[in-house]
Amino acid sequence: MTTPRFAIVGHPNKGKSSIVATLARDESVAISPIPGTTTEDRVYPMRVDGETLYELVDTPGFQRARAALEWMQNQEGTSAERADITRRFVDEHRDDPRFAAECSLLEPILDGAGILYVVDGSRPFGEEYEAEMEILRWTGQPSMALINLIRESDHTAEWINALGQYFRIVRVFDALTADFDRCIQLLLAFGQLREAWRQPLEKAVEILREEQAQRREQSAHVIAETVARMITYSKRRALVREAPTKKEKDALKKAYRKKLAGMEQSCRKRVERIYSYRGMERHEPLFDLLDENLFAEETWKLFGLTQQQLIATGTMGGAAAGGVIDLAVGGSSLLLGAGLGALVGGASAWLTADRIADIKILGLPLGGKELRVGPMRNINFPYVALGRALLHQRLIEDRTHAQRDPLELRDHSTAMQELEGAQRKGLEETFNRLRKQEAAPHQLVDDLAEEVEEIMSQQDGNF
Amino acid sequence: MTHTSLLSDLIDLISAFQADDSTGYDEKKIRDRNIGRALRDLEKNPPAQVRGWLAGVKIPGFTRIGQNGAQLYHVLCLILVVAGLATGWGLARAVLHYDGTQPINVVNALGLLVLPQLLLLLLWLLASMPVKIPLFSSLQSALRLLNPGKLARHLARLFPSRTRQSLSTLWGTEQAAALTPVTRWLFSFWSQLFAFGFNIGVLAAAFYLISFSDLAFAWSTTLRLDSDTFHRFLFGFSWPWHTFAPEAVPSLELVQNSRYFRFDEGSLGSNSPITETPARLGEWWPFLIAAVTCYGLLPRLATLVVSWFRLRHHLRQALVQLPGSVELLARMNSLLVSTSALEPEAVFTPTSGPDIAKEITLRAGLKCAVIDWSDATGSEPEVETQLRETGIEAVRFYSAGGAQTTAADAEIIASLCDAHPEAVALLVKSWEPPLLEFLDFLHALRQRCGKKIPLIVLLGGADDGVSPRDHEIWRVTLRRLRDPKLQIEPLPGIAKP
Repeated sequence: MTTPRFAIVGHPNKGKSSIVATLARDESVAISPIPGTTTEDRVYPMRVDGETLYELVDTPGFQRARAALEWMQNQEGTSAERADITRRFVDEHRDDPRFAAECSLLEPILDGAGILYVVDGSRPFGEEYEAEMEILRWTGQPSMALINLIRESDHTAEWINALGQYFRIVRVFDALTADFDRCIQLLLAFGQLREAWRQPLEKAVEILREEQAQRREQSAHVIAETVARMITYSKRRALVREAPTKKEKDALKKAYRKKLAGMEQSCRKRVERIYSYRGMERHEPLFDLLDENLFAEETWKLFGLTQQQLIATGTMGGAAAGGVIDLAVGGSSLLLGAGLGALVGGASAWLTADRIADIKILGLPLGGKELRVGPMRNINFPYVALGRALLHQRLIEDRTHAQRDPLELRDHSTAMQELEGAQRKGLEETFNRLRKQEAAPHQLVDDLAEEVEEIMSQQDGNF
Repeated sequence: MTHTSLLSDLIDLISAFQADDSTGYDEKKIRDRNIGRALRDLEKNPPAQVRGWLAGVKIPGFTRIGQNGAQLYHVLCLILVVAGLATGWGLARAVLHYDGTQPINVVNALGLLVLPQLLLLLLWLLASMPVKIPLFSSLQSALRLLNPGKLARHLARLFPSRTRQSLSTLWGTEQAAALTPVTRWLFSFWSQLFAFGFNIGVLAAAFYLISFSDLAFAWSTTLRLDSDTFHRFLFGFSWPWHTFAPEAVPSLELVQNSRYFRFDEGSLGSNSPITETPARLGEWWPFLIAAVTCYGLLPRLATLVVSWFRLRHHLRQALVQLPGSVELLARMNSLLVSTSALEPEAVFTPTSGPDIAKEITLRAGLKCAVIDWSDATGSEPEVETQLRETGIEAVRFYSAGGAQTTAADAEIIASLCDAHPEAVALLVKSWEPPLLEFLDFLHALRQRCGKKIPLIVLLGGADDGVSPRDHEIWRVTLRRLRDPKLQIEPLPGIAKP
């Protein structure tokens, strides 16, 4: 079975490379307003574990179509011989720089590629296109016309009439705004050009759908992992003095903020890489929910125990010791020993906690004062972080690789506004479990990832 | 698969992920999918897949330090066992110290060798609960922090930094939070090792003293506790072994005969002087050994085994739950789909040239031959008016390009140049880029009309006029002609109907 091959051809600057970039999901495709940016054919194969399912060929635009057609028309031959005449044109002009573009674009077609003729539907039809379309008709290859809308004006009807004279299938396809489903529909339409191409293209579409689902699943996991880290993250610094200075507080807050921003940026990059974007520029406001309540001073003790934990341990120890006495008197003390022991143990721990911190063993302090910033207690924080991440993922998923302008991340609130009551409740529970670390970290991340994926599916129709 | 090799692999995996940060995403996808395909048989065993990946992957800057970590782990295990043995031996020697004057108080021995162990066991159980118990959560957290196994972490500081850093990867990196279950059970395993060694030490010391010296045991209390009650308590205490080791259960007679009063140089409850029944007082040792074995050694053995299994389980789990592992497995097990070009695109550099002429200024009454290229404009009179407003007086209109033949274009050039106009204006569609055939036309025009005649390219706008972008495209492209008498002007008034 021959691999389906499609040559994207047309006038220069009508969005051929944009269509290729979108379908091939390749941001390395050079897209430039300067005509002649594409100087030679470039092949974009869809390969699955090394097997090629189809190929797109980006070609240079026609430059001297009238002259080329005149040469062909001047050859003697019947209609049945037009494909041979076209081939002869290529053979004879392969080394002629005047017809470099025409030879380049015709070669893959003459080798069996289907024709995808691209025009700009936002600009009026002109007679100069007829020579191009006539040449393509001479090749005898199956063809389809794609009306790309580069600007806002719409001359689609005019183009449909003109293209209908030369092409069996005419479709409107906006390379800049086409979402995944539109790309898939277009690929399936390619299969209509030749029966033998239908099956490999259907297989390609099935694999692309699977891959899209995996991309979403992976993104949900990355987002959940990041949000979980952001919720639980805190930064500590040992204090030299009893009370922290403003400078110490500011420095710690700055470091904390930087770390949170770093986590978010890393999440963005990971999601972008999942969707095959490498060096994307973004415009987004920094989020700032940090406030003074973030700070806490804590005295840590032996093994890093907090005062509360130390008191609990003292209480338990005292109760155990008192319990021995209760046991010794055969329970006749009515557990007074355990009760008193707990009281004494707890009180001792409370009273001596600070002194333990000053003790040093082998030069290592058993305790000390530290300033802690975070974890973020603002109840909106996880929603804001998640909303921003979801908006970014959605824009990336809907973006085409033909778009070259920076990604605008402005209003993140919409991502979380559509949440159903049950979903919001589920999220709140997961956030609480994360704050309290009630389960293994990976378990909580998995749970959150599931919820995030559900929100993504629910929002499919809302954007 | 031993847990040591799992530990070694986990440390290597953390290190590999750190080194892999600088590897490109596409490179990772191809590399990991290839490894994944080679390990297809292990697809249902993710930890084995990750380990297989680790064995086969080559990452620049990745140093395998897992073996160092595993060695340090073994050394720390050994140190803890030896420390436990020494502590147990020392404590037992102290508790079972007998110089022939006062018998060893059995209650003391139980209180020091057995009771604390039971309490610690209870605390271990509390700390090891998989869920936090209400009201006890603070205590549970504290107990986890207080785990004496953590001392091993401090012991690790005594080793060279490279060795120490390998193991401290588990608690000293950003992955620490994800590795909490591993470190928790690692510390638990270490503390149980110490406790196990402690019990062996106690028993070894006891056997040594029993074998190589004579010990006399008795029991003593100020409380009003009669021998019958004490015997009943001891019988209950000995319940776990009373069926298979009845000799290790103290008889009522032994209990009655070995009650000891220190008053007046000491006397036994049987009212016979202590020196009269020395052999009988030694009969307590089977009970003591059984108590330490049953309430100390065996539970510790059980907690050691539980800790070992839990550690092994979490080490396996950590291999697939570490941040990055999920993505790694996805890369290994998903089809490698590639839709982008195989080769990088050739870099396009527009040919530069001198800028388009600026010195030619349109002046009123400039008599021009006007060429409508590819049907760029609307009706002739309308265009004529617009041209006049910009200073051009159209002497004659021509049509070229579009549906016309190239031969017809050549004829137009000949006819136009023969009329010797002051200048030639070419009306073009600004939204269509200048093709090479238009540049050919300009070149032919220049050749035929001579170098001095100004050529003015007038850009007609579409629905929305002439965009600066289109103007720029024309300007940049026409620069290639290096023609000092070529000028471009937008004519926004002239729009395609």
